[in-house]
Amino acid sequence: MPPIIEVSDLTKEFTRPDVRPGRFAGTRSLFTRARKVTTAVDGISFQIGEGELIGFLGPNGAGKSTTIKMLTGILVPTSGTVTVAGQVPWRDRRRNARSIGAVFGQRTQLWYDLPLRDSFEIIRDLYSMDPATYRTRLGEFTEILDLDEFIDTPVRSLSLGQRMRGDLVAAMLYAPPILYLDEPTVGLDVVAKGKIREFVAEINAGRRTTVILTTHDMDDVERLCRRVVIIDHGKILYEGDVEMLKAQYVTSRDIVVHCTDFDATTITSPFAQVVSADAFKATLRFDPERTAVPKVVHDLTSRYPITDLSVLEPDLEDVIRQLYTERTPNAR
Amino acid sequence: MPVDTLSTRLTGLRGLYRAGYRSVLVYRADLLFGIAGLVIQATLTVVVWRVLYDGHDEVAGVGASTAVAYAVLAACIQSILMPWQFSSLPLRVLRGQIGVDMMRPRSLISQNLAQAAGTMVGRLPVGAAGLLTGLALGGVKAPHTLPDLLAWVVSMVLGIANVMIINLLVSMIAFWTVEIGGIMILYRFGSAFLSGALIPLWFMPGWLQPIISWLPFQAQIYAPLSIWFGTRHGVDLLGTLALQLGWVLVLFVLLQLVWRRAVHKVVVFGG
Repeated sequence: MPPIIEVSDLTKEFTRPDVRPGRFAGTRSLFTRARKVTTAVDGISFQIGEGELIGFLGPNGAGKSTTIKMLTGILVPTSGTVTVAGQVPWRDRRRNARSIGAVFGQRTQLWYDLPLRDSFEIIRDLYSMDPATYRTRLGEFTEILDLDEFIDTPVRSLSLGQRMRGDLVAAMLYAPPILYLDEPTVGLDVVAKGKIREFVAEINAGRRTTVILTTHDMDDVERLCRRVVIIDHGKILYEGDVEMLKAQYVTSRDIVVHCTDFDATTITSPFAQVVSADAFKATLRFDPERTAVPKVVHDLTSRYPITDLSVLEPDLEDVIRQLYTERTPNAR
Repeated sequence: MPVDTLSTRLTGLRGLYRAGYRSVLVYRADLLFGIAGLVIQATLTVVVWRVLYDGHDEVAGVGASTAVAYAVLAACIQSILMPWQFSSLPLRVLRGQIGVDMMRPRSLISQNLAQAAGTMVGRLPVGAAGLLTGLALGGVKAPHTLPDLLAWVVSMVLGIANVMIINLLVSMIAFWTVEIGGIMILYRFGSAFLSGALIPLWFMPGWLQPIISWLPFQAQIYAPLSIWFGTRHGVDLLGTLALQLGWVLVLFVLLQLVWRRAVHKVVVFGG
């Protein structure tokens, strides 16, 4: 896969007036010229291959949005380079516009007062789409996302889920090769999330669109991304495969056993440690490197009359939590 | 990739132009109140000016019928050119949508001007209702000659361009300060007064007239209306049109400069 996005040593510093707390802080800030420099993105480098669907993760204030803004050409980097589809995004913003689509979950690009369809027509005109292509594509998207029921409703009356679906279509109508999704599922119900994920998977697999997905929802990541870039404090914490990440951080596995005929608190095992137990259920933890799963299962089922047993998959959410808490950037 | 000819540029903006008038027409109640308001304003204008002129043939060299017609026409033009909502730009800056606007294949200035043109078209019914009221009350008269009418059309187009650019310029203050309501009120009143929309500039005191004539606002409404009433001829007429054109060019350059500063602010400081 040739890289379609290349980021190298990218840094963004913001200068803001330095307001010192205390008496007349507001008044003093009118006269002082003191400035404070904060580094939002601190020398990050990564590559994204054509047709990839990559998760771009990090806690709030990590520098994700600033990075996305530099990739879309809205912000000019302080130093470092960005190449998107062979172009420097901020240098020729209008040319770059045709290669990228973007959905910012917290904001909408739709025209608030007008029916959803009008927004699509404005975009059709802005990107000089021919009417036939426009009709075909809108038809396809309408079907996948069930837009029919609300395409003629003013945007201001749409529910969040409907609006987000409209935003997705608006970003993909002119078929840009790259799509940035900044928290596209934030605040949505399970069904709406499912629809959005289905659509994103379709445009990535079916249309070979490169997708950069920013999200706090680990379900999004598990269902959609194979690779992730995780940043914090403007630096890259991890870059690579989702499964490798789990393997690296999850050193133990949990097994849950249920029983009805005897007290689960009496369960013990030579291979695993009991982490919690009540009358009907016990959770045991073991190291899969040392003991294979079947061995633990066999030991438990042969000694106790167990009614149900499940081995828990490593949870990405826990991994990420662990990663954020440690906050020790990989030496790169 | 489509070639960037003038025609593709214009079709590119067609959608925004439509969005402009649709955004006005979609709020039907607002439009109806606008129409009702202007009908009342036009009626009162005719009545009040006639009372004011009672017993006087001319004031400051202006006859009663001209003064009445001027007031009605100015109110109609103003209702089309300067709707309360100048531009959606401040709102889009506030909501952070401006980033998306900047990612479009058309410049932000042309996007906004196209939408503003649409908004004015959407407000045409309001102006038309005011004009019909004026005509019904016998308060409006047509230009004296056909050349006057043609010159007025040219002058009005330049006046509209002037208004659109200044509206957008003032809206761009939103890039520097979030709350621009106060500035907008000041601008609205100032431009209404200085453009001659409230009171014909003939009636302004002598010391104020040279100041007003050096400001861009008089080229918005007063200049075209003074041509409508046939008070400009020959060199005076051409000079008026040239001054209007000059203002449009100067303001357009200024708009580009301010826009460049605004972009700089957004791209460097993050909006």
